[in-house]
Amino acid sequence: MSDRYAYFIGCTTPFRESNYDLSTRKIMEKLDIELIDMVDAGCCGLYYELVNELTYLSMAARVISMAEDLKLDLMVICNGCNGALYRANMKLKQNPELRDEVNRVLSGVDREFRGTVDVKHYVRVLWEGVGVDAIKKKVVKPLDVSVAAHYGCHLMKPSEELRFDDPGEPVSLDELIEATGAKSIDYYEKSLCCGGYVLAADQSIAYNMTGRKLRNVGKAGADIMVTACPFCNVMYDANQRAVASEMKEEFNIPVLHYPQLLGLAMGYSPKDVGLEQNRVRVDPKLFR
Amino acid sequence: MDLRKEMGSDVDGRTLNYCFSCGMCTGGCPSAMITDSRYNPRRILHRAVIEGRLEDDIWLCTNCYTCQERCPTNTKVADLINLMRRIYVKERGVPEFIKPLIENLSSCGFTSSIGDLENKRRERMGLPRIKHNSEIREIIEKTGGGL
Repeated sequence: MSDRYAYFIGCTTPFRESNYDLSTRKIMEKLDIELIDMVDAGCCGLYYELVNELTYLSMAARVISMAEDLKLDLMVICNGCNGALYRANMKLKQNPELRDEVNRVLSGVDREFRGTVDVKHYVRVLWEGVGVDAIKKKVVKPLDVSVAAHYGCHLMKPSEELRFDDPGEPVSLDELIEATGAKSIDYYEKSLCCGGYVLAADQSIAYNMTGRKLRNVGKAGADIMVTACPFCNVMYDANQRAVASEMKEEFNIPVLHYPQLLGLAMGYSPKDVGLEQNRVRVDPKLFR
Repeated sequence: MDLRKEMGSDVDGRTLNYCFSCGMCTGGCPSAMITDSRYNPRRILHRAVIEGRLEDDIWLCTNCYTCQERCPTNTKVADLINLMRRIYVKERGVPEFIKPLIENLSSCGFTSSIGDLENKRRERMGLPRIKHNSEIREIIEKTGGGL
């Protein structure tokens, strides 16, 4: 397994969730995984899937080509980036005519897609590459909290292409959560989407979807919720107050990025993993 | 515009013909659940097949792919809805709510501008500054993806 990755953080993380970036770097350091920054990479092209396919594929191929220049597999921390880049990589590797068309576009910015690297979500890197047992060995402060895991959609779906875990009965994130000592609980409609994708098109539908899950998480008695995607996190954490107002009910559910949870179990302080930046206050007593 | 012809020229689009309107897609769809089936992927596909009609509702799909996972005939339901969105843009232009995203991508290469506020916070956290780029604008222009 590669222990070095070209590290791509996308747009949402640096704009609103730099604590996700911070905590990811901390846990990877502890796991001896070196991350090589791609700070000027920009957007993965996700939204152009809805607008113009050639623009989408060219934007995705540009990001992938930057990892190819570094001769490293590309590690992403956003489900949206994962779906967009993984699928574009596969499509362009399999279709030489399409690849030529995209490379004619990329020649204008002095880049070329060659099809020499893989795209991996960090949950895949941790679960398939590092392994739950190796992660457990790095835990110095086992946690005693009950966690509602939220996988999000583009970590596993469409499964015919992404081929990771089982979207019907996923276990990867639950096992990674339990590696910290925490209990990952079952709850109603666990696989429900966060609704983030329709936020701009119809805020009410998006907020009702987000709120429905927050309600289910609350009813199941979880102490916290854990996400593996910055935009899902925005919906449950940053937008929680607005969602509560739309639904006319209170939630008060702290929402952590998975690397924050693992980081705390690895002995990092709340500040080391940027916990003070989470919008819904996280009671540090939960992690004593 | 002939929707069926447009869809027939796409490899995923051709799977529209597999659909026999069983409704498994709608039964698992989160937007259908929230809207009491006002958003209804079964109806969207059915109208596309029978009438060649493009519905405005396509923009309410969350892109979660649950429909595609559940479909018993391997119709690429979510991919079809994305294809219909691209056909919609070609026919009727980019919807208003997507325009700010495209403007940001063209001006800085990110969906939101990463400015001084964000970069100063990052520096305080010991994280590298994020640089804007103009390459994405060039790609958008060259591929006809602009507004």
